[in-house]
Amino acid sequence: MATPRTHPKVRPYVLTGGRTVTRHRLLVHTLVTVPYYDPGLAAAMLPEARTLYEQARDGCSVAELSALSGLSLGVTRVIVSDLAAAQRVRVHAETYGSPFDRRLLERVRDGLRALA
Amino acid sequence: MPHILIVGAGQSGLQLGLNLLAAGMDVTIMSARTPEEIRGGSPTSTQCMFQPALQIERDLGLNFWEEQCPKLTAQRYNLGLPPDGYPDARQTTGEAAPPWLRTEVTPFTRAIRFTGPWEHYTQSVDQRIKMSSWLAEFENRGGTVIYQGVMTSDLDSLTALGRYDLTIVAAGKGELVGLFDRDASRSPYDRPQRALSCIYTRGMTFDPEYQDWAVSFANIAGVGEFFNMPGLTVDGDGMQPCNILLFAGFPEGPLGFHAWRERLSPTEHLDRIVRAMREYVPWEADLAGDIEITDPRPSLIGGYTPTVRHPIGHLPSGGLVLGMGDVVVANDPITGQGANNAAHSAHIYARHIIDNADGRYDEAWMQATFDDYWNYAKHPTVFTNAMLGQEPPEHVGRILAAAQAGHEAGKPVIAARIAYGYTTPSDLGWMLDPDEANKYLAEVAPEFATPAPANP
Repeated sequence: MATPRTHPKVRPYVLTGGRTVTRHRLLVHTLVTVPYYDPGLAAAMLPEARTLYEQARDGCSVAELSALSGLSLGVTRVIVSDLAAAQRVRVHAETYGSPFDRRLLERVRDGLRALA
Repeated sequence: MPHILIVGAGQSGLQLGLNLLAAGMDVTIMSARTPEEIRGGSPTSTQCMFQPALQIERDLGLNFWEEQCPKLTAQRYNLGLPPDGYPDARQTTGEAAPPWLRTEVTPFTRAIRFTGPWEHYTQSVDQRIKMSSWLAEFENRGGTVIYQGVMTSDLDSLTALGRYDLTIVAAGKGELVGLFDRDASRSPYDRPQRALSCIYTRGMTFDPEYQDWAVSFANIAGVGEFFNMPGLTVDGDGMQPCNILLFAGFPEGPLGFHAWRERLSPTEHLDRIVRAMREYVPWEADLAGDIEITDPRPSLIGGYTPTVRHPIGHLPSGGLVLGMGDVVVANDPITGQGANNAAHSAHIYARHIIDNADGRYDEAWMQATFDDYWNYAKHPTVFTNAMLGQEPPEHVGRILAAAQAGHEAGKPVIAARIAYGYTTPSDLGWMLDPDEANKYLAEVAPEFATPAPANP
């Protein structure tokens, strides 16, 4: 019997159990976006996941997602991680290479101003 | 396959996570720190691991540093006494002054010394190296890591979410420990019994008498204990061998908590450690002429209350979590059991989790899992708590004298049995019980044993 030919590109998918990106560094300032919003999918999600999925449509940091959804940071991270593994959201892990990145500091400044 | 959540990325949490991943489970670890933060931080332990614990790591393919890390082939015991006699002359009330606050410093003398060889070596890989590597390895092997310092409120909503079939708490140093009630019947102390002051150093030379790596340990009358443990630590982006030095001071003694209260720079801390070595373990200070710190954050100062806790935490929303490692059994570091206990607990928990993969991880299963671990952990716990007394019982004095006599005669049978007991604490019963000790000394080494005093 002939061995079935396996395309080499299948390997990483198999190794990570479907997750093509295994390393989501979900720091508080990591940005999360929705690459393609699917309302049908949103309707089928559990309430916590749906809330985060909808909030992330505008592109939010993990901290913002947590605050806007009323979910704790820990729960937010778990669900975002699951959504990212299913490729429902995109995690922009390298948005800010340094905590002193000018864009990050500006976002912090703007956020603090909004609080004041 | 069950989904398992592990909170905490230390010896027990990561070892369990990697073990369950290898069994094909879906595992998420929550770590308060990234690998880079762990590696760039301060030491978390002295983490000597004896053969049985090292073998657990080998069986899991996690012994990445077997060849680079110094192999410690023996345990050296020393007893330091003040020059003016033991122990009444040193007894003080209140807080005794540390060496650096006194003008008069008289070196202690070494009254007893012997070496207990180990059949299999001991190793100490700095947890900054081990945990940062294991965490990256866990991600590479397909585990999910969420960087999150977890609080009770997080845990409550995480368990309420129903995302995980089992949540394990393996973070022994944060607020989560409060979820687990202290088991007073197994916890004889309610405050730290030793002030710990540890620093990672390089440049110490070998004792001219012994040219191999070994753990060197000293009981210092009226002061506490001193340990010199060779290990492998960070060196910039690389690694280097080191000597991990630890003073464990009696709370009211000259190296009690008051001695380490100030915030010291690493070089000031090292200077004080060396000054204490010159007075209390001068034979070790002789090896420390060219000593220096290994890295910018080489210090660990503090103290732990030895505590055994009930293993099941109940969350406000009804969720249950199971404690592991030093969350449930925290011993004082003076017997070097901590990292070993963590390895054994993760090993035992992994077996129970895998065996029950088709069942429910309910309260009865949690209790049975912990009880199985306690069958191991009771031995190091009883041993460590016994060693926390400030004066050795009479029969221990006779064991030490016999061990020294055997060492001098070139037959270190008793010393080897003591050294073996540290690696396998279930073998230590003979040392803890005066009758057993007398029996053993009479059987094994009558020529080295001084007779026990007659019972009144």
